[in-house]
Amino acid sequence: MIRYALVRGALLIAGLLVSSALIFLTLRVFPGDVAQLIAGTQASPAEVEALRESLGLNRPLPTQYAEWIGGIFRGDLGTSLLSGASVGEELVLKAQVTVPLGIMSLLIAVLIAVPFGILAAVRRGGRGGTALSVGAQALAAVPVVWAGMMLIVVFSVWLGWLPPQGFPRTGWSTPGKAIESLLLPALTIGIVEGAMLMRFVRSATLQAAGQDFVRTAAAKGLTRTRALISHGIPAVGLSIITVLGLQVAGIIVGSVVIEQLFTLPGIGRMLVADVGTRDLIKVQSELLVLTGFVLVVGFVVDLIHRAIDPRQREA
Amino acid sequence: MFRRTRRLALISAIAASAVILTACTGTAQPETTAPVGEPDPDATLQVGLVLEPTNLDIRHTSGAALEQILIDNIYEGLVSRSQDNEIEPRLASDYEVSDDGLTYTFTLNDGITFHSGTALTSADVVASYEAVRTDATLQGNAEFASVASITAPDATTVQIVLSEPNQNFLFSLTGPAGLVFQTGDTTDLKTAENGTGPFTLTRWNKGSAITFARNEAYWGDPAGVAEVEFQYIPDFTAGVNTALDGGVQVLTAVDPNLAPQLEDSGDFTLTTGRTTDKATLAFNNAKAPLDDVKVREALRLAIDHEALVEAVGAGSTLYGPIPELDPGYEDLSDVVSYDPEKAKQLLEEAGQEDLELTLTIPNFYGTTVPKVLISDFQKVGVTLDVDSVEFPTWLEDVYTNHDYDLSFVLHVEPRDFGNFANPDYYFGYDNAEVQSLYTDALAEVDPDKSAELLAKAARIVSEDHAADWLYNGATITAVSPLVSGFPEDSINSRINLAGVTVSTEK
Repeated sequence: MIRYALVRGALLIAGLLVSSALIFLTLRVFPGDVAQLIAGTQASPAEVEALRESLGLNRPLPTQYAEWIGGIFRGDLGTSLLSGASVGEELVLKAQVTVPLGIMSLLIAVLIAVPFGILAAVRRGGRGGTALSVGAQALAAVPVVWAGMMLIVVFSVWLGWLPPQGFPRTGWSTPGKAIESLLLPALTIGIVEGAMLMRFVRSATLQAAGQDFVRTAAAKGLTRTRALISHGIPAVGLSIITVLGLQVAGIIVGSVVIEQLFTLPGIGRMLVADVGTRDLIKVQSELLVLTGFVLVVGFVVDLIHRAIDPRQREA
Repeated sequence: MFRRTRRLALISAIAASAVILTACTGTAQPETTAPVGEPDPDATLQVGLVLEPTNLDIRHTSGAALEQILIDNIYEGLVSRSQDNEIEPRLASDYEVSDDGLTYTFTLNDGITFHSGTALTSADVVASYEAVRTDATLQGNAEFASVASITAPDATTVQIVLSEPNQNFLFSLTGPAGLVFQTGDTTDLKTAENGTGPFTLTRWNKGSAITFARNEAYWGDPAGVAEVEFQYIPDFTAGVNTALDGGVQVLTAVDPNLAPQLEDSGDFTLTTGRTTDKATLAFNNAKAPLDDVKVREALRLAIDHEALVEAVGAGSTLYGPIPELDPGYEDLSDVVSYDPEKAKQLLEEAGQEDLELTLTIPNFYGTTVPKVLISDFQKVGVTLDVDSVEFPTWLEDVYTNHDYDLSFVLHVEPRDFGNFANPDYYFGYDNAEVQSLYTDALAEVDPDKSAELLAKAARIVSEDHAADWLYNGATITAVSPLVSGFPEDSINSRINLAGVTVSTEK
């Protein structure tokens, strides 16, 4: 187990290094630079050049890369070229919106997916089961933006229950308002991700239903449904955790779109804004943190899997 | 809802007025507001704005969003400008220009202190200006090119000597280049300040609000309100909702489309302010086919400017490079009229049938203007492809590399006629006569004569069809009747709040 964790950990670090190089290089193909943006449309080429020099944008790429990575190893994500603010501090600040949003979305997704997925599996072949499967299929295909707009129309415009956008200026010092403003966006991601997850839960449950131990349980006198719930579901729980891990990546991507739609001051919007202003030092650190997060989730899921599932131990 | 991409374009000036572009109907009539109750010296004024600055370092960063709130409120220069763009003394109680237009002598006001408590002396002015003169990364460095020396004969006098007369020099001192900073100060100007103005910065909640407090130790008349909160609301609809909910007493840059909502509520009066925003349809004069004056004229003749202004919802027609608020303005509507038939004929003469052109436009400007242009050009047989790009891309492709046919941006800077006298500017317009007239206008000591020369040059530029000026922007502001003294004109570049008061309830 320890050997496995070490190998898996080395892979994680290698993955991060490769991603960092990829992120760094791909961002350099963007047209336009922050020096020109700071200098504005009245600046002469000489002024822009001087600014570029003073911002260190003229240094060779390997130097810039080495400096960035070196900083990260010291725990310094760099400072924004534009605002001079520490990237790490701003990430922590924006995470206060994005992380709760992600957790709420994940909760909603699970709350939708698990009961309905099992129900759809149990009622397979029946009218209810078919309706659930078709519904999930349709919902999973809905673009997040459209789902968000529909929810805004229903809950904000028609019913007036929830704010259509924005996050309270007071932040989490008014928790009620903060949660209120996150509900619709979380619901949006949660429903779409939940529908995808539900299809997975359904097929995993069906698969479990076909397993020998469930059949044995049923033979001992349990109803098919009871056998599934008491013996089948725990067996598929593991693979659900794996899928949930993948889902985290989906939620991060979803949050970029959803934070734009709902004007939430989170990491997704910060990222879009920083790309727009070519604040590349900031963008690359943000992307690396997000990539790192997804890789770490994968790492943890693998370790949990390994620790829990006896069948993997021998391998 | 999808306009929030506009925030990306933080920097600009240009974007500040993007506002004007999106609308379709409704022009608001200015009304004067009579204050309802007694001014409350303890009041907080809440102002809604669209574009938040990226940082507060006005020395290094360009952009109207910064100038708008910082100049006159937090930082001050020797001189400032009124809403009409007239130059007025500020830190200087008085100034004198020698007859040859070379020597500027400023006398400082008494008792000026920085927010740190340190007294301001002429040495601070010299150090600040010397930095602008010598450091190319500071805003306004180019404007100081003709400065030969900056000296302080005594503690309250500053003398600036130019190597050649420059009619624009004093005006450039009303911008970031002219601001005075404390010598040797170590304040991080990106996030904090140490100015001399009637307000101090109390809090910046990034992405949401900037708060100022009255500077009780201000050397001049103290501000009329105890606190000002600038709320940044990038979405127009959200801005109007906030105003209607009572979240702000003033909403700037109101979308003309949404203006009636505010007016009908009865809680606000609307003002329409003049600006120096020139909605410029740039022609790449250096590149075929737009190097042909017939093609350029044809394009201008094809545009129905009146209809365009109506579609935009606020502003007025402008047929030349100089707007009403700048010296050298002249009504040039006689130069070009709406005449699609003549346009077709000119294109034929130029041998340009089935002409296809690309319009490169920063993506925060909305679609109103491109739509009108596509349809107007179609009527004369010109196909217009619209290439909507991010602002940094625009800066690289159009502004730096001059790789474009047509481009659209709002040029908001006052007195920027010089761009047409600079063949290296992205317009690519190179006319020796205009250049020499402009040089003469700058060198002319008498302001009226200088303005005449500018007007003459501007007429040539318009007759050469060096660009088309689609309209002169206007900015709509919604002001609560409780607020008085809020500026109307030029507020996308200056919001001087010292004289604003908020009265107690009705």
